[in-house]
Amino acid sequence: MDNMPLLKVDSVSAGYGDSEILHGVSMEVREGEIVSIIGPNGAGKSTLMKTIFGLLHPRQGTIHLRDKDISHHSPYQIVGLGMCYVPQVANVFTELTVEENLEMGAFLLKNANMDERKERVYELFPRLKERRRQRAGKMSGGERQMVAMGSALMLDPTLVLMDEPSAGLSPKMVELIFERIEHINKSGGPAILIVEQNAQLSLQMAHRGYVLAAGENRFEGTGQDLLNDPEVGRLYLGG
Amino acid sequence: MDQVQLARASLVAIPLILLALLILPGRKAVRLPLSIILGIVVALGLAWGMKSGNLTYMMSFSTMAMIYAILSLGLNSQWGLSGHVNFGVAGFFAIGAFTSALVTTTMPIGALAAYSQQAFGLGQPFLVGVLAAGIVSAILGYLVSIPVLRLRTDFLAIATLGIAEIVRLIFQNERWLANGPQPLRGIPQPLFCLVDKPGCSWAPHWLIAWLQPLGPRDYSFVYSMIVAVILAVIYVLLERISRSPWGRVQRAVRDEENSAAMSGKPVTFYRIESFVVGSFIMGIGGAIYAHYVVSIDYSHFNPLFATFIVWVMLMLGGSGNNKGAILGAFVVWAVWTGAQSLVDLISPALSLISPDLPSRSAYFRWMLVAILLAAIVLYKPEGLIKERKRVSDFMKGSAKD
Amino acid sequence: MSMEKSAVLEADVPSDPSAPRPAARGSLTLQNRSVFSAVLFLILVLFWVFGWLRGATFGDLLSLTIWGIMLGGIIALGAIGLTLVYGVLKFPNFAHGELVTIGAYCAFGIMGMLPQGPALRPFSFGWELIAAMILALPIVAAVALVVDRVLFYPLRRRNASLVLFAMASLAGTFFLRSVIYLIWGSDFHFYYPGRANPALHLPFGIRVQADQIFIFVLAIILVGLVYLLLEHSRMGKAMRATANNPDLAQVRGINTERVIAWTWVIGGALAAAGGVMYALASQLRPEMGFFLLLPIFAAAIMGGVGSPIGALVGAIIIGIAEQLSASFLNPAYGPAVAFLLMIVVLVIQPQGLFGQSGK
Repeated sequence: MDNMPLLKVDSVSAGYGDSEILHGVSMEVREGEIVSIIGPNGAGKSTLMKTIFGLLHPRQGTIHLRDKDISHHSPYQIVGLGMCYVPQVANVFTELTVEENLEMGAFLLKNANMDERKERVYELFPRLKERRRQRAGKMSGGERQMVAMGSALMLDPTLVLMDEPSAGLSPKMVELIFERIEHINKSGGPAILIVEQNAQLSLQMAHRGYVLAAGENRFEGTGQDLLNDPEVGRLYLGG
Repeated sequence: MDQVQLARASLVAIPLILLALLILPGRKAVRLPLSIILGIVVALGLAWGMKSGNLTYMMSFSTMAMIYAILSLGLNSQWGLSGHVNFGVAGFFAIGAFTSALVTTTMPIGALAAYSQQAFGLGQPFLVGVLAAGIVSAILGYLVSIPVLRLRTDFLAIATLGIAEIVRLIFQNERWLANGPQPLRGIPQPLFCLVDKPGCSWAPHWLIAWLQPLGPRDYSFVYSMIVAVILAVIYVLLERISRSPWGRVQRAVRDEENSAAMSGKPVTFYRIESFVVGSFIMGIGGAIYAHYVVSIDYSHFNPLFATFIVWVMLMLGGSGNNKGAILGAFVVWAVWTGAQSLVDLISPALSLISPDLPSRSAYFRWMLVAILLAAIVLYKPEGLIKERKRVSDFMKGSAKD
Repeated sequence: MSMEKSAVLEADVPSDPSAPRPAARGSLTLQNRSVFSAVLFLILVLFWVFGWLRGATFGDLLSLTIWGIMLGGIIALGAIGLTLVYGVLKFPNFAHGELVTIGAYCAFGIMGMLPQGPALRPFSFGWELIAAMILALPIVAAVALVVDRVLFYPLRRRNASLVLFAMASLAGTFFLRSVIYLIWGSDFHFYYPGRANPALHLPFGIRVQADQIFIFVLAIILVGLVYLLLEHSRMGKAMRATANNPDLAQVRGINTERVIAWTWVIGGALAAAGGVMYALASQLRPEMGFFLLLPIFAAAIMGGVGSPIGALVGAIIIGIAEQLSASFLNPAYGPAVAFLLMIVVLVIQPQGLFGQSGK
């Protein structure tokens, strides 16, 4: 168990139609880790996320969740195995209330201790409790992000994928969201794989990080190492 | 070979020559004489080899198929060229038919006036009627397109279906307009004098003598010739248009509305244009139909059915492709008419299942065409002939490398 | 090259531009919505004025309005099914009208096998019609499921374009209609040929048939049940979620195919009930579904695609407009009136009265 990574992506190539976007990407996430993937726009970060989650299937290479090959599973099956996904946009059901959004997060569970699970999310995000009867479409970007994260946590997953949680949020809200992510992870929660534009912030929080460029791994190391690496800094951290 | 066969062959030859021009490959210099020879030879062969009844049937079959081909071309210039989903083909078809009927007939007089009403009857020649049909239909298309073309595709489909239904309701209920629920009769047949005694007053003597053995029963030969010429003209114009810069803009608008808008092209305007062009052609199709069947009423233009069968034709032939549109019209019309004889064949067996069934057997054809459409959609959505990627003519050479 | 491409692909879901200012958007929508409602109300008032100018009495107009509400009940039964399917599957199902027709004819066929009891006065029908209707619901639901499996499921798997879905529904329309013609012929039929159905005389000179009241009450009950289902059951919530955001529904582990199946079952059953009610109010004929198709679409779009309550409200407005227009127009133009209202809706407020505003 100690040696087996939770998620192992092994030289995966994937793309849409004629164009291949990922060219043999490899990476792994271990139990309880926060792993951050950074890289310039168009490096294939979102594509990698979609491929891991079964929204796209790899053309080459494999993806394992523990010892299970999930390369060709559909999202529906992957959720059942304990991996959840927080998409970057359109990540809440705008026409449903906050509470209903959370319930949909645990759709697979058929109402088992639903209230208790909701309570746990409300503890993480007290603001959601205040607004639980409000339609998610009427909320601010940050609140939507909370709903999306809360929904993903409803199933008690072992791994959560987060696609650019800071996109379009105010700096204050970004700080809050990142603080919560760290908190979730520290309090015995799931491992988190996070894709971010905001490399600085996400590497500070991450145990380890990968730098993706043009569909290939460029660098990998602990979050601190990458932050201190002069080349990474010059290329991707804008400093 | 007798004089009647020769006269018929001369009339059959013209559509055949046009057909040969359409399907033969090669350079124009070779194609034209080859087509003429081939057309004449096949025409003579048909006139000589086929029973006169069968030949007449074949001509009326191809006349209807060509009328549908015109509608199918009209739809293609909306859907194939610009991606408009017009589910109201029947409406434009009906507008064209009634317009031409009103323009070419004269007001009923005497005892007839008590039975038949119409808003006006201008007594104009056939071509004026056809042109008027196209123009009125195009105007309707323009009026419709202003509010409707901005809509999403699905809403456009619903809205155009509704327009076809309104057109039908108007012709069904407004007696003063075109005799309401009663048929509007006596729509003139162009060049009917060619097969009538004493012959056309304007025709040269030799022509009258040549066609002299033909009688009114042979009119379908004349009409199919006229339809073939009109179809050919429409086809050539559409091909020109679709190769022109305008056609390329249309396809650009269809495929990539945003980028066309970004490159500074007035997208809405282009979209309206192609819709109007399609409406114009459908109106002409309606006019040609009216002059063929002589008597029309609202029930000929069932909003779903007339639309449905034209869509089947276009989908089968291959959207975006004018040849495909024509081919589809012939194939589907053959299936439609052929199915009737098939159903007649099995009707003794049907009567064993239920005594009512043979009288309803016509609806097996509906079922058959529905299955055909479903099969196209499911298994061959690109149709029989795929759309060619077109570049402008002078780029053809360089595009090959 | 591939970098460029991937940049385009990753940007294919633009972040919601309206997201940062939810409050402003909310009030704007509200404003549009009230203007829109006012326009609709004004149109109905205008219809009253036209009718009055053409010499209709107050009692006549009131009766027409009430008949319109009743007609709205029938339209609503079709429109709710349509709007659910439209919302979840995102294409206009032109075959929905045929589901209505099949419902009416199935009940007709079943009634022929049942013993005929006395009429349940003041209604014109007996228990056998109710029984036949209840039996027809699952049959039509099954028909809808089969149509989905054969026609739409393969298209969904291929991610086919909307036009192919619409064409497939047209093929379905003609297939189903040919079946009706083959089994029952093209003649008109009645559930109770020649049975009297006198109108009740109510205060203010209103004349209404008891059947019409039954139809409306049934419609309201069924709409209410659908509402409860959507708001409070697990499947209903999943249905709304799938209609709202099909991709996210998958991401959350919802089996969208099951949701779609349930949508067809409910849509088919409601259409069947609508068909029986429509045939009871007029007659059975193979084109009846098509005659209802435009009003059904108009109601669904007016209410906002995907919203059952919207479909009910839209249906009632369409029903009233159709009936009131008969006071100054040839009644045959009813569907045309429905259609014109729909165009007004599409031009002023395409998302309808209760439509999704977030998109």
